Amino acid sequence: MDNLDAARMQMAFTLIFHIVFACIGMVMPFFMVISHYKWLKTRKPVFLKLTKSWQKGVAIFFVTGAVSGTALSFELGLLWPEFMKHAGPIIGMPFSLEGAAFFVEALALGFYLYGWNKLPEKFHWLTGIIVGFSGVASGILVVSANSWMNAPSGFDYINGEFLNIDPLKAFLNPAWFTQALHMTLAAFVATSFAVAGIHAWQIYKNRNRELHLEAFKIAIVFGAVAALLQPLSGDLSAKDIAKRQPVKLAALEAHYETEKGAPLYIGGIVDEENQTVSYKIEIPKALSFLSFGDFNAEVKGLNDFPKEDHPPVAITHYAFQIMVGLGTLLMFSGLLYFISLKKKKWQSSKKYWLYFACLAPVGFLALEAGWIVTEVGRQPWIIHNVMRTKDAVTPMPGMIYSFYLYVILYAILSVAVTWLMIRQIKVLNNSEN
Amino acid sequence: MLYVVLFFTLFSFFLYVLLGGADFGAGILELFSSKDHQDSIKKRVYSVMGPVWEANHIWIIILIVILWIAFPGFYNIIIIYLHIPLTLILLGITLRGVAFVFRHYDAVKDKSQLLYDRMFEFSCLVTPIFLGMTYGALISGKIILLENHPNADFASVYIKPWLQPFPILTGFFFSALCVFLSATFLIGEAKEYERRMYIRKAGIATWVVVILGFITLAVAYFEENKFVLDVLKNYYAVGAVVLSALLIVPLWKSIRKGKIVWCRFLAGLQVLLILTAAVGAHFPNLIITESGQISLLDNMAPESTITILGISLIIGGLIILPGLFHLLKSFKMIKILENEEN
Repeated sequence: MDNLDAARMQMAFTLIFHIVFACIGMVMPFFMVISHYKWLKTRKPVFLKLTKSWQKGVAIFFVTGAVSGTALSFELGLLWPEFMKHAGPIIGMPFSLEGAAFFVEALALGFYLYGWNKLPEKFHWLTGIIVGFSGVASGILVVSANSWMNAPSGFDYINGEFLNIDPLKAFLNPAWFTQALHMTLAAFVATSFAVAGIHAWQIYKNRNRELHLEAFKIAIVFGAVAALLQPLSGDLSAKDIAKRQPVKLAALEAHYETEKGAPLYIGGIVDEENQTVSYKIEIPKALSFLSFGDFNAEVKGLNDFPKEDHPPVAITHYAFQIMVGLGTLLMFSGLLYFISLKKKKWQSSKKYWLYFACLAPVGFLALEAGWIVTEVGRQPWIIHNVMRTKDAVTPMPGMIYSFYLYVILYAILSVAVTWLMIRQIKVLNNSEN
Repeated sequence: MLYVVLFFTLFSFFLYVLLGGADFGAGILELFSSKDHQDSIKKRVYSVMGPVWEANHIWIIILIVILWIAFPGFYNIIIIYLHIPLTLILLGITLRGVAFVFRHYDAVKDKSQLLYDRMFEFSCLVTPIFLGMTYGALISGKIILLENHPNADFASVYIKPWLQPFPILTGFFFSALCVFLSATFLIGEAKEYERRMYIRKAGIATWVVVILGFITLAVAYFEENKFVLDVLKNYYAVGAVVLSALLIVPLWKSIRKGKIVWCRFLAGLQVLLILTAAVGAHFPNLIITESGQISLLDNMAPESTITILGISLIIGGLIILPGLFHLLKSFKMIKILENEEN
């Protein structure tokens, strides 16, 4: 593996790790404050217990997210110094605002975690709300930096120099809205189905049913609603990519030839050398319609672009299939939940709980696949059509060892956090409500 | 607006050294204590720093974000040539953070606590050493730039600049400073026997800081370190260092008399004076390479970026600082004031 690939792998690995913790840190506070609200309303001890155990989860994930985020803020420079040197002044604004939002979140979490029986009840609860909203705000803000890499704006690129920098325009870049919307919904889908799945498993195993049922109800509502909205947001994203990054669209659909009334490929095995996709299901004219709202619109194929500008087609295509497939599954599962509110019988079946337990990792798999689509699909560019990733990488050789170090560190952390969560749940089940 | 940005750069640098430093110091204190003391320190640190400990470590993120946005050319040198110590700092920050939260939020308290404790203490010791080494390397004039030496080997570009007596001593000096800060801050939180322990430890730390500071300066002097020589030639900087040393007397008086707010203020002021001397005397040429100096203001971001960053920082500051003070007040100051009244 050469230096560039090692740096890429390290970046991918760190992001894959961080995104899980960041999402949970964004979304779980909302579950926590709802359970807290129910405790204040009903004074049923089960809600207090649930709030306190979710709060521990929030603390553990928040800190792991915060330290891996600190690592990322350094890594952007450590791995891509040339990128940061030029992009820093342009996209600094979302980063500094994200820092501020994150700071607010840390402060509010300090109030919340340590405020039990010390702060006035309502104020204490409000600090929990602030944790949730500032978490979501920091997520939305930082996505702006990523969307700028897809839709560079707010500067003029003349003779290899970045001139006439307008940070506000870069901040409000055209890809921000669709990407931030898609990511925020994805965070809610992934976290909610994961949390609901864990509690569904406990119900399936018949442990502390009262508590886990309340937990499941709170989590699944967020997930089901977000999963139903997500396809609409995905449609906006697809149309946006079709317009601004046609080569990415061609790669994620594995379309090599330009055609009018292009079919949508579902599945298939990509042969990058012979430029063919075999064993696919074709839906006639669907790609043209989904991309441009017109069944006969022309969709550009990869062959219309120079070879050196092609992203890795197979990875992008497979990741896209996984994202859409799993997203659709979750959408129907959300629907299933709402139907089960009418058909009470379903919820007494063990299969129902096993089904939701199996869905626990699905949201996060879809989310990771989605990030692979957008990141790998942007290659070979680090800033779309402006700077190539290979020109941004650090001159320091031996990045492969740095990559190994991060893999070991994060593998240990993942195991440790999982183990901690299992212990939390065990203690929860072994005590009275 | 440049002044606003510079203010926040120095402000977050100072707060990270002070608050983050005190956090690291607490772990080092724990490491060098007997078993009984370890448990009491652990409890004390949790009750004091718990609510703000995460906030304490965000200052470094703010600092580097400002550096890369506003001073990209300057930041570029740090991030390329000090890649290895920075990675080790990250490793330390990560392990320290998770160990802190694991040991307080693990639902089962068993033998694994021992592992968390050691992980916490060792990363608290190692991280400030590498932080100090990084700073020492920046000002020791040993960094060689690739553009001047395209054929230089790996070790002399990426390892030797920071693996030198002066940066290493700076590292140890900084970690001693952390212990000093931490012990001084903790005196106010404890009572009777425990308080005497912190007073004793603060006393030892004071001596270690003074001695290490002296050795570091002496080594720099004999190595003809340009940065340090320039600092010594600057009357204001020398004045600040001397004043910081003299403040030890009133500091110890207020410790003996139990004036907690005063001794915190004085300890903070001492560190501020040392940092002012270290940064102010050579401003803005804060990196010294083998071939010359690099100014913080070289290759600065364009006016538009500085303006927007300045505005963002003011808005952020207006939201964050009152919150931070309120948090400190709600949890910390109440306790201190109660202690003083007793």
